[in-house]
Amino acid sequence: MTDYKVLFTGSVCSGKTTAIRSLSDIETVDTDARVSDSAIRRKRKTTIAMDYGVLDLSDDARLHLYGTPGQERFKFMWEVMMSDLVHDAEGLVLLVDNTRNDPFKDIRFYVEEFRDFIVRRRLIIAVTHSDEQAEPDHDYYMQELKAMGLFTTVIFIDARDPSSVLKIVKELVGHREKEIAWSELEERLAVNSSMPQVTEEEHESSSADMSENVTLLDAAMNTRGITGAIHLGADRKVLSSNVSSKQNKELLRSMINLVTALETKASFLGHIDDLVLCGPQQETLSVFVEKEQALGLCSDKELSINVVKQQAMDLLQWSQR
Amino acid sequence: MNELLGTVDKENIVESSCFLEGKEVTASSFSKANRHYETVARQTFSYIFLNVGKHKSKHNEAHLEIGDKRLSGFLLKANRVLVCLSAKDTNIVDVRAHVQQVQRLMLKAEVDRMLA
Repeated sequence: MTDYKVLFTGSVCSGKTTAIRSLSDIETVDTDARVSDSAIRRKRKTTIAMDYGVLDLSDDARLHLYGTPGQERFKFMWEVMMSDLVHDAEGLVLLVDNTRNDPFKDIRFYVEEFRDFIVRRRLIIAVTHSDEQAEPDHDYYMQELKAMGLFTTVIFIDARDPSSVLKIVKELVGHREKEIAWSELEERLAVNSSMPQVTEEEHESSSADMSENVTLLDAAMNTRGITGAIHLGADRKVLSSNVSSKQNKELLRSMINLVTALETKASFLGHIDDLVLCGPQQETLSVFVEKEQALGLCSDKELSINVVKQQAMDLLQWSQR
Repeated sequence: MNELLGTVDKENIVESSCFLEGKEVTASSFSKANRHYETVARQTFSYIFLNVGKHKSKHNEAHLEIGDKRLSGFLLKANRVLVCLSAKDTNIVDVRAHVQQVQRLMLKAEVDRMLA
């Protein structure tokens, strides 16, 4: 029996758990917990440790499926998995949510985080949620990845559809395992499908409901330790805010104006990720500025700046501007 | 001042540092290659702490992540800021702890000088 391993990673809500459930012959081992951060905009539960499933490819081959948690605050699990559980994996599948405002930002982040792991293995980029957001398309991905110096395979999948996710498996082990009866495998896995049994119209309205019910500010406040948020548009006018302290609001706005000015004057030094203001007895103020929007967050001084950064990244990636 | 900066710069934590008095750099260990960061730090931290004072806030520390670097500004006393340049992946807690240690040394040196 040949045992293969594959590791699925990607941002929160990119479909890692769903893809593993679609492929697994066993009841998957998952570690879901109630969402306690900005991911509330997209789902109610999230993976906090890892996902695991097994797919019997043939009588002689088996594929072990591992999934990382998406949130960066569970990064220690990525290290544990890479150095131990999946150190001998065939490849890394990077799931990319096409509804994020800048999917390439996620790709750059995960490729950097998993750089050493990828060097010795196959990388496959699997784009999900393209039924909700068709652009960027396959050609655009190939073109941008080439510009980034990444020569890899890009597959568009629906994580809920086993036959769709099987494309990844074919790409990964198909050339080494010639005896796999792919159509039989597809038939067998059909029971794992979690495709909604609703009409197109119903599906569209239910997806819209999910994001409309939870506003960007609500999502920000769902993270323990975040006490206020202010969202500004491209013209730097306030779109929404729940920062109650006038002092903090003024400071956040001045910080956003400063970063906007610096982005123009000092662009040769690189992108400004964030500007953070701290004090021993003060709430921490952080700003994150993009061309099209800016976000300011107030947080408890005990909350790690890295957690605030991750939340801001997700909030900006899912905002509808 | 420049001697003090020698204790601020520390391998893997602080690459270069400088003191600001308002908008002026009073001492600096920034190399010629890093001089652009010093200019950005001067503009950033003088503006930030001016606003902090204007709004009567007690914030005394700011961090700006730009490119693959991080500029940290620590308000030592009214108008005086210690600027540290670090790699972006340096832990902020380490930079803060190091600066606090340097502040203690600075205070001790000042006390010794007064007693001498």
